[in-house]
Amino acid sequence: MGDILVLMRKKDDSTEEKLEEKAIIIEHLTKNFEATVKKKGLSGSVASLLSPKKKIVRALRDITFQVERGELVGFIGPNGAGKTTTLKILSGLLYPTAGFIQVLGFDPWNRKPEFLKQISLVMGQKNQLWWDLPAIDTLELNRAIYEIPKKRYVNVLDELTSLLEVKKLLNVQVRKLSLGQRMRLELVAALLHEPKVLFLDEPTIGLDVVAQQKMRDFLYDYNRRRKATILLTSHNMDDLINLAKRVVIIDKGEIIFNGELKELISQFAKEKLISLYLSKQADIKKFEEIGEIKKLEFPEVVLSVPRETVAVASAELLQHFPVADLTIEEEPVESIIRRVFKGERISRSKRK
Amino acid sequence: MKNPVLKRLSRYFAVFKISFHQEFAYRVSFIMWRVRNIFQIFIVFFLWDTVFSTQGRVIFGYDRTRMLTYVFGLIIVRAFVLSSRAADVAGHVARGELSDYLIRPIDYFKYWFTRDLSSKFLNISFASVETLVLYLILRPPFFIQTSPFSIVSFILSIVLAMLIFFMLLFIVNSVPFWAPEMGWGSHFLLTVIFVEFLSGALFPLDVLPIAFQNILSFTPFPYLIFFPLQIYLGKVGTAILIKGILVSAAWVFILWLVMKSVWNKGLKAYQAYGR
Repeated sequence: MGDILVLMRKKDDSTEEKLEEKAIIIEHLTKNFEATVKKKGLSGSVASLLSPKKKIVRALRDITFQVERGELVGFIGPNGAGKTTTLKILSGLLYPTAGFIQVLGFDPWNRKPEFLKQISLVMGQKNQLWWDLPAIDTLELNRAIYEIPKKRYVNVLDELTSLLEVKKLLNVQVRKLSLGQRMRLELVAALLHEPKVLFLDEPTIGLDVVAQQKMRDFLYDYNRRRKATILLTSHNMDDLINLAKRVVIIDKGEIIFNGELKELISQFAKEKLISLYLSKQADIKKFEEIGEIKKLEFPEVVLSVPRETVAVASAELLQHFPVADLTIEEEPVESIIRRVFKGERISRSKRK
Repeated sequence: MKNPVLKRLSRYFAVFKISFHQEFAYRVSFIMWRVRNIFQIFIVFFLWDTVFSTQGRVIFGYDRTRMLTYVFGLIIVRAFVLSSRAADVAGHVARGELSDYLIRPIDYFKYWFTRDLSSKFLNISFASVETLVLYLILRPPFFIQTSPFSIVSFILSIVLAMLIFFMLLFIVNSVPFWAPEMGWGSHFLLTVIFVEFLSGALFPLDVLPIAFQNILSFTPFPYLIFFPLQIYLGKVGTAILIKGILVSAAWVFILWLVMKSVWNKGLKAYQAYGR
């Protein structure tokens, strides 16, 4: 009897450990919103007041993916695809319509203090800093809310403010700060309790190039040093390419890709790029017959051709043009992601 | 290891502190709000002063002294009961700012109640000074309650009133969960129509017909202002006093249940707008 108990406990431990490896588990998550449909104009407003027509908006349709502990995953898709909705559900703000979710072993919706103390949600357009007061007041408030010991607080604050270069701004009224300064202080407020899981929604939106780079460097560092799990949405290509190894692409509430950036290229690139160096001037029109001209600056020419015909195209080029050098490249990941953002339904190419 | 209860309390003390700072960030608007209060008192004071200008006149059981005490008592009781920050909850819900609080390990009700206390503390400090100044200017006859029983009951009724008003506000401010654009309207309906008229904030309720008073006595409104002041003025017998305390305590309980259930339903419907 005793042996069986021990065995059972062992089994439990091992499954628990397995679950523990995953920071985020999402299975068959669905979220529907109810929206009132309003017709145009005054008569429409009156009509919707008298008999409101409800419409179900299906924001998330059965999505499934997982994130390992310490992983930094890019979560991308066009506007309205369901990225922010997913982040809000994961941080316990929205009630899921159906499906199973678990973050650090917790059901986010219960919003247990032990759970909330380990996560943070940063949205580029939201602010938790008190607008009329200096940022230090909000930070002090967060220290009390998250019950951070004084010593730890001093250390973390010192580290964060020097990394993000905002030490001198702590005592300035928040409304007097520039957006970039404010965003960095928002990040300090969001990271003060050293969350193990970080949901970042457009963290670099509205920042200039230098500030963006600072933010990226910081996130990269934070992820590595703290072994923090980060799920990041961004419209900024550089954010994704520099930070995320793995991306999850969502479109119209469905996951259409989940894997490494490299894989994204091999699966979704429909075209290849051929760059040529010409030894002599040649007829431009003839290039157009072979592929789409991406760049034409003598002596360099870049053509985009469907990947199935790349061999034929290059043979033809070598045969009919004064080619000094020819290289074949993959479609850059930026351009694939850009197509995703445009809402272009990217279909898997047949070649695998 | 520090006492966990103390630790939790220190969290709300921090809220109290920052809330206090915030009030001072809007000094001018705060002063205007106090000025408005003073003018309100002036108007009501002179109205009743005129009514009682004939010597020895008694209306609805109020002589000049008691009526003017009622008016002065209004300043203090209003500062205790009706000064509330929780009116901002509707905006939080409608604009999605609620998210910033849900994401942090803090109880949203306690957060606002603490902010209320901070606001009340500030308002009461000012109201005391104002009362003193107005008292020196107007030199009204003032009725001072000396019975300890009445004073204790008065304080108890004020605490119950604060809780009732807080929860009424919270329930009304939940409307934007379902209708984001209706927050202000429903708030207006509650504070202006129901609270101002039915709580005794404008006139003592016993000037109303008895039948109407009886109905009112089962609603939460008279327990906000009128009832505490009646206790102070020594106008209620022990039986009515106990009944009043019990009814308002019952309302605290009912409103608490309603608030919890409305809020839980609201959170499920919450769409965390703003993006």
